[in-house]
Amino acid sequence: MSGPGVGWYLILSAVVFGTGALGVMLRRSPLIVLLSLELMLNAANLALIAFARQQGDLDGQVFALAVMAVAAAEVAIGLGLIVALARRDLPLDVDQASALKG
Amino acid sequence: MNAAVTGAWVCLLAPLAGALAITLAGERISRRTAGWISTLTTFVAFAGALDAFIRLWARNHGDREVLSTAYTWLAAGDFEVGFQILVDPLSTVMMLVVSGVGGLIVWYSMGYMAGDDEERRYFAYMSLFVFSMLLLVEAGNFLLLLVGWGLVGLASYLLIGFWHERAEAVAAAKKAFVVNAFGDATFALALVLLVWETGTLEYPSVFERVDGLSSTIVTLVALGLLGGAVAKSAQIPLHTWLPDAMEGPTPVSALIHAATMVTAGVYLLVRTSPVFEAAVEIQHLAAILGAVTLVAAGLIALVQWDIKRVIAYSTMSQIGYMFLAAGIGAYGYAIFHLMTHAFFKALLFMSAGVVIHHLHGEQDIRRMGGLRAVLPRTHVAFGVGTLALVGIPPLAGFWSKDGIIASALATGGVLGWSLYLAALVGALLTGMYALRLYFAVWQGPPRETEDEAHTHASGQSEGPLSMLVPVGVLTCLSTIGGLLVVPGLWKPFEHWVEESAEALVHPTVAQDYATSVVAVALGLVGVWLARRAFEHGRQLVTDPTAWRILERKLYVDELYDAVFYRPAAALAVTLRQDVEGPVVERSLDEIGAGTLHAGGELSRAQSGLLRTYAITVAFAVSVLVVVFVAVR
Repeated sequence: MSGPGVGWYLILSAVVFGTGALGVMLRRSPLIVLLSLELMLNAANLALIAFARQQGDLDGQVFALAVMAVAAAEVAIGLGLIVALARRDLPLDVDQASALKG
Repeated sequence: MNAAVTGAWVCLLAPLAGALAITLAGERISRRTAGWISTLTTFVAFAGALDAFIRLWARNHGDREVLSTAYTWLAAGDFEVGFQILVDPLSTVMMLVVSGVGGLIVWYSMGYMAGDDEERRYFAYMSLFVFSMLLLVEAGNFLLLLVGWGLVGLASYLLIGFWHERAEAVAAAKKAFVVNAFGDATFALALVLLVWETGTLEYPSVFERVDGLSSTIVTLVALGLLGGAVAKSAQIPLHTWLPDAMEGPTPVSALIHAATMVTAGVYLLVRTSPVFEAAVEIQHLAAILGAVTLVAAGLIALVQWDIKRVIAYSTMSQIGYMFLAAGIGAYGYAIFHLMTHAFFKALLFMSAGVVIHHLHGEQDIRRMGGLRAVLPRTHVAFGVGTLALVGIPPLAGFWSKDGIIASALATGGVLGWSLYLAALVGALLTGMYALRLYFAVWQGPPRETEDEAHTHASGQSEGPLSMLVPVGVLTCLSTIGGLLVVPGLWKPFEHWVEESAEALVHPTVAQDYATSVVAVALGLVGVWLARRAFEHGRQLVTDPTAWRILERKLYVDELYDAVFYRPAAALAVTLRQDVEGPVVERSLDEIGAGTLHAGGELSRAQSGLLRTYAITVAFAVSVLVVVFVAVR
């Protein structure tokens, strides 16, 4: 096996995941939140594939494919929601979309 | 299949078919048809019983016990109970009495109940009762016996409460059911104990193994069976339901509460005699209870005003004689008295029914009198029934009752002599209350107003033919039915029954006739006392305190009220007020309010802010990760 060790991949994955998580928690624009979510998912993918390579089997890659499918579906819904918000001329701010509060 | 058994199956199933037919046909058949279906199926049952009896008679002595199993009803491991009937001398006698007297009474009720709103229901119940009673006497094992036992209780409940618009009738039905349920429970417990200890409920196997059981177990089993018998046969201390049961229609009183169901306890004592013989003190207890009942019921009968209640107490008293006989092992005489009693007591109830019918439901003997002129034929029937009850030779009651008293004499010892004395006192009391009733109803000046008498005189004064014929048949049976046992001459009936239950005492001919002289003399003294009291226009009990005690039926109802009902009711009220209200209801309220409050508080965490949720999730996951790592 060539290339950097699995540790580097994990570090990168953690950094990307942390970036995504901070984005979800701190940004108010739904589009950015959605992007950050994608970052988190792909960070997880990176870790999965890194481990798959280290272990030398395909299980991790299969999981990564499944995650991609879920991510695609999630993006479709998320973008759909954003479009719906925009159509109703609602502010594109996740803090103001709080009609379901208790 | 054995031929004797076919008749017995027909006998068992015909009334069931009748009950089903009437129920299913509903309004499509007329009331009269329903009556005929019920009557005819009961007579078919009688024919079946007669067939079984004759075929059994033809068999060899000692080979007269046929068990027929239709199918295995219950099976659990080694324990099996079949749907089976036992045809033996004892059960054939009972079948004949139940279906024969039953058929006559159902026929009689076609006249008595004519015009009632719910005749079809009545006849369906009657057929159900006859079936249940036949199941009880034909049952081939203890469990089926218990099934029949419960079913007759149900039929009795339904028929006592037949006039359900009358509050007293409903209350009486409930009382009968509750008291009988107590007996059923002790009976069932005895059976549980039997299964536990012997692993079987078939008569022969149980009787074989009963000797091998410890005396405590046998005593408990016998006590449980006795409890069932005492409740069903209205013996002290479980007798209080029978007088109230007179709220039912008179034919019901005649069939269930005189001729058949209340004597089921006696049948049980005789049928399971090996168990009682193994627990001899319980058997003696049965005899003592019978003796106490026969005297106490005789005393109470002296002061009752309701014609049916007097006869009901007389029934209790006579069943007391049967218990006495079964308790000292005079099984043949117990069953013999059961049969003759079925004849003359059904006769008395049915004649009383004619009187009540004639007087449009009047049952108070203070408003009767002088009916001899209006109802001459019923007068004869009632007179025969009364004399048979008192035990005047050669009527039926004489032979059976004196046989029982002589058996008590033959038992000897303190027990035998005490029972003997009690039975003789009972004979005296029987003469007194029976003739008091007779004089009050039939002799003296008529107490009806002219107007009423006139309307009665026109029209069918003594009732329709369907009432008169059964009364006539029973009059004949009460006259000659006792001749089946004549001491010193022949005793075919006793020998027949003893093939099923070998008697423990056999009075000598001398004891028999000596007893007869004493008992008849005492009966006649009772008659004379009643006649003198009647002629002087006073009651038999003149002491006001004694009168009051007897009129309140020795305060047994009041005692049970104080001992069982009131504490239970007080406990219920206390529980309602101090436990259900403050504890159960309050706690439920608290739980509801607490849930609402907690929900309100929790909903505040639901901020609707997406980012808060994300932070919470991230924080929770971090904590979990730390926890998992730390735990590892």
